[in-house]
Amino acid sequence: MTARKGSSKKSKGKGKGRKRRGAKVKAMEEAKVGVFLSDCGGQIAKILDFEALTNFVKTVQGVTFVARANEFWRGEGLKIIVDAVKTKKVNRVVVAEAVPKISEVAIAKAVEEAGLNPHLVEVLDLKDHCALPHRDTPKEATEKAKAMLLAAIEKARLLEPIEKTEFPAVKSVLVIGGGIAGMQAAEDLADMGFQVHLIEKEPFLGGLAAKAVRFFPTDDCAICIQSPATDLKTVTQTSRKCVYRSGFSEIPNLNILTNAKVVKVEGGPGNFKVTVERKPRYVDEKKCVACDLCTSVCPVEVPDEYNAKLTKRKAIYINKPLVYPPAYAIDAKVCKFHECAKCVEVCPTKAVNLDQKTEHVTLNVGGIIVATGFREYDPSVIKEYHYGEYPDVITHLELARMLDAFGPTNGVPVRPSDRKPAKRIVFVQCVGSRDRRWNPYCSSICCMISLKHATLIKEAYPDTDVTICYIDIRTTGREHEYYYERAREMGVKFVKGRPSEIIHDPATNTLIVEVEDELLRRLMELEADLVVLAAAMVPSEDTKELAQILGVELDQDGFFKEYNAKLRPTETKRRGIFICGGAVFPKDAPTTSLHAHSAAVKAAKFLMNGKITKDLKVAVVNEDYCGNCQFCPVTCPYGAITLEPKGDGHFVAKVSELICEGCGVCVGTCPVGAIELRHLKPSQISAQMKALLSVNGTSKPLVLAFSCSECGHAAVDSSGMAMMSYPANVRVLRVPCTGVIQVQHILEAFKAGAQGVMVVGCKPDGCHYEVGSQKAQKKVEMAKMLLQAYGIEPERLEMFNLVFIEGDKFAEAAKAMTERVERLGLLQLA
Amino acid sequence: MSGEKPLDFTKEITSKLGGETIARCYQCGTCASTCPVTRTTERYNPRQIIRLALLGQRDEVLKGDSIWLCASCYNCQERCPQKVEIADVIYALRNIAIREGNIPAIYTEFANGLMSEGRLAPISKFLEKKRADYGLPPLKPTGVEAIKKILAATGFDKIMFKKEGTPQ
Amino acid sequence: MTSYALFLGCTIPARQPHYELAARKALTRLGIQLVDMEGATCCAPPPLQSIDLETSLAIAAYNICLAEEADLNIVTLCTGCFESLTIANRLLKEKPELREKVNKILANAGKEFRGTKEVRHYLQVLMDDIGIDRLKQSIVKPLNNLKVAAFSGCHLLRPSELLRFDDPERPRIFDTLIEALGAKSIPYKNKLRCCGGLLRGYADDVALAIARDKIVNAYNAGADCISTLCPFCFLTLDLGQMLIKATYKEEYNMPIIHYAELLSLSLGVEPKELALDFHKVKIDRVLEKIG
Repeated sequence: MTARKGSSKKSKGKGKGRKRRGAKVKAMEEAKVGVFLSDCGGQIAKILDFEALTNFVKTVQGVTFVARANEFWRGEGLKIIVDAVKTKKVNRVVVAEAVPKISEVAIAKAVEEAGLNPHLVEVLDLKDHCALPHRDTPKEATEKAKAMLLAAIEKARLLEPIEKTEFPAVKSVLVIGGGIAGMQAAEDLADMGFQVHLIEKEPFLGGLAAKAVRFFPTDDCAICIQSPATDLKTVTQTSRKCVYRSGFSEIPNLNILTNAKVVKVEGGPGNFKVTVERKPRYVDEKKCVACDLCTSVCPVEVPDEYNAKLTKRKAIYINKPLVYPPAYAIDAKVCKFHECAKCVEVCPTKAVNLDQKTEHVTLNVGGIIVATGFREYDPSVIKEYHYGEYPDVITHLELARMLDAFGPTNGVPVRPSDRKPAKRIVFVQCVGSRDRRWNPYCSSICCMISLKHATLIKEAYPDTDVTICYIDIRTTGREHEYYYERAREMGVKFVKGRPSEIIHDPATNTLIVEVEDELLRRLMELEADLVVLAAAMVPSEDTKELAQILGVELDQDGFFKEYNAKLRPTETKRRGIFICGGAVFPKDAPTTSLHAHSAAVKAAKFLMNGKITKDLKVAVVNEDYCGNCQFCPVTCPYGAITLEPKGDGHFVAKVSELICEGCGVCVGTCPVGAIELRHLKPSQISAQMKALLSVNGTSKPLVLAFSCSECGHAAVDSSGMAMMSYPANVRVLRVPCTGVIQVQHILEAFKAGAQGVMVVGCKPDGCHYEVGSQKAQKKVEMAKMLLQAYGIEPERLEMFNLVFIEGDKFAEAAKAMTERVERLGLLQLA
Repeated sequence: MSGEKPLDFTKEITSKLGGETIARCYQCGTCASTCPVTRTTERYNPRQIIRLALLGQRDEVLKGDSIWLCASCYNCQERCPQKVEIADVIYALRNIAIREGNIPAIYTEFANGLMSEGRLAPISKFLEKKRADYGLPPLKPTGVEAIKKILAATGFDKIMFKKEGTPQ
Repeated sequence: MTSYALFLGCTIPARQPHYELAARKALTRLGIQLVDMEGATCCAPPPLQSIDLETSLAIAAYNICLAEEADLNIVTLCTGCFESLTIANRLLKEKPELREKVNKILANAGKEFRGTKEVRHYLQVLMDDIGIDRLKQSIVKPLNNLKVAAFSGCHLLRPSELLRFDDPERPRIFDTLIEALGAKSIPYKNKLRCCGGLLRGYADDVALAIARDKIVNAYNAGADCISTLCPFCFLTLDLGQMLIKATYKEEYNMPIIHYAELLSLSLGVEPKELALDFHKVKIDRVLEKIG
């Protein structure tokens, strides 16, 4: 139902379907600033002269109310603020409070409830940013506190209300890929009541896992999945079932499309329009009863890819034995169609339809989950192993098919060259992975796959000689080491050494694996009937193409890149698009399962309200100045900016209010100042700068430190928390991200009286807004060149990249900068 | 162990032409397994040389005869999964060893030939006559003077003949 | 007519005039003009690289400079020379810092490496300048299905990243050229493995053991001869058989023939025009077979 609603006209036009709510924006009224001074339970009053501060604040223009308390962000203190807003007509709130991040949120919430727009609040931290680090020079600290308060008040006077907006979110999700990750995520979301479309490019669900016989470490069948919890009363601990018995296809809200792939994605987060191309199956799934009559008459025989080409199948086929959908499919590449049509004649239910055509389906979804998995690398490029040339050199996936009791050899490992049971088997690890020539990363699951296969073979055929040649055995998961132990106990041999070559002796039809047993320091020539290569696991085919269609990034190894490995492991940089399972990196089944659940939860969280509510702390474009250049669309780390035709041949930047994160990297990039942040206007930066530099009160030259709101500010916080000290001439001006800083801002700081300027941001590769810190570095370099040209020493400007725990480094930097500027002497501006 | 600092030797090698890639080695043994010399004699194992070097066993690496047993066939380098340029690493180790005076006699001979004639194999009177008999053109003179200048510029002459002086 | 600066190196002119003679005759017959290089020196092969890599690069570069001045590409016969010169040429063309360093050294000898010329092995000249079809048309005396164990030597193929001559694991060029002469390039064990030649003079016993492997493998595969491209491989395998006889008391009588000699013969050069007396292991059996 949600899908239908989403495709209605309402949501078509960008922004048309959304509602604005929250405090109504009134015409700019006169600013009445209330200043609330917390002395942190008297602690900092021992350093700062609060009486002087109170008296100072009262003299500042626009201040109509001043209060002092132990704390203001909760309890009685918070009531004072609420009361001031409600009864004293205070319409701008300045709070000097410790723990600024928590207090900001609490105070904003209270103020909003009191009827004031929550963005008319400015919080500053007199404790960690002033009193504590300057505790040895209390007079200077008090003077600095005045400057900080003045800056906050000046900024507050210029604050404008920021509205909340709602964007429609269609409660429907597209899951791409019908392997275990996709099935799991689809089931979770469908159970939660979302409309789910699960698409699979092959004619059958199951993906790579369907070929894998058994999973480690549980040793259960690969085709076993959790059965759906559509009726919560029926969920029991035994809800694990074979895929064909799971009832998966009967989950309400779940629409399964096989033979399908995504060809186009339009729209945006919460409201995607996805075009899916569906290739014909030529068999009606609803009519087919899987009676097998069609295969008995089909004259076309081809090697069966599903069974590692060890057996043949017909042009009309089904992956036996336990698949979904339980309906035959026709391989269009080899079928003779109407020339033959024997299957049509024989089908008792008239399920075969040779005239089916490729169709395009349009789906309206709020979110997309990519679960396209991984595949086994083709090791024929590693020529010294002769895969593809010697028939008895095979891969693990091929061995897995042999070990399947329903597989091509009924569970017996044979050498393909003569079909005789393989009595001597050598496994080679790290084939094409951990190899700078092919795939530098560790594929992470191959050690366990080899141990699994080795033990399966030993269990069934104990007299088989099994040797594993390895560089390192990696059994890092839960219960994995026991697997290794069991393999040793069963008599699997382990040779530490990577084989350099596999040679075939035609006289005996034997393979010879040349390897150095490093522990014996001896060259071995291991004779084998069958050599199994633990080939690397690489991204699925078409991963690049899909990434392009979706507009999401791939990592250096070609897998889908998560937003943040620790915090957002199943999200991409593009909101509303989630990733999970082997599409992100090769994974075992348990980890894939976890990952799929996580992606499902993230998608559900994103769409559960049917709408996305957001404060419009975003960038806005002045269309009169903006013209044609590509800077901001290219620089925006979120792809929130597009160039739209203005009608007169000109293009202007257009910011998606939904996607914009409000970092301001675009602001720092714009060469003509045509874009600004709603929550930090140029006038507010200027006013703060002037105020911070208006009072010195120390004997040292003033240094202005621009800091980002993330790691940079956290480093300033932690220097105070950890009782580091630095001189009070250093003044901090907070911006959302250092990426917002323009060369102009830096020059302005010098003009306003700064003798030195610091830019304090995240680490270049750890910027919360991806590229901001790097962009700031460039600006600093540019500004240095300009300073030089103006005859100002470029050393007066420096960028510092810090994280929270580097408070000591911030203090050191502040001291060093002060000393450096002192050494350079007073800056005289013409 | 002779109290050497392992890191220093690794750095010494990686800063030398040819030695840059040694630290990538993860001891998989592909080099040893593919080496024709290791197959023939226990005196040589490229994996072991690299291991000793990375563990800082400078003396054992530079003073032993192992590093001189590489046949420069590049099989190992070709197949190394970490793209360690093993044959080149061996050259780098030999270059260091030679600077420290560990110079096998045959190498002094080569250097002598190069410095005196600009070529490693001298031409005999017999061969000159033979060449003429076959109708081969007389050999053009080598640029031995230019070579001498190059050897002086790189210090090659001093490296090889610091004790005896130049052979002329 | 295509012209090349002929880089002879040290060993071929001094020890193996039969190679030089055959190569000159064959290439000239095929229309390649060979210009002898004035002032060329040793190419700075592995023994010198072992002493000092930087000096070796400079010496190789010096020789390339001579070709640059003569405005000719270089053709080499010896695979060792091919390797030394190609590596230097590629490295200095592709790594500006290294080139700057080497040019500082070369300045002392009044030279500057510019990177304007190519170094080719004569097999590349046969493949690319003459071409397999024209080569086949030029054959007047096909080699009558002679069973040849092709042995290109290591330094034609490796290090492949710099030499870029052929697929290092599945080379085809040399075999194709052998078969173009009407011979058969037969498979044999460890075909691409080294002959051990560079260990001669330092560890003769090891070198000989490796060479013996090579001979035995070709012998077991039923080869009529081993065909070589490198004078060191030739020496190691040809003279080596005398040493094998003395050391191991084994006699294989495996003729070692430079490809240039086979090429000359198939182009109609009479055996007596070639310096075949330089072979320690007599090749009469081969001559008989090809008639």
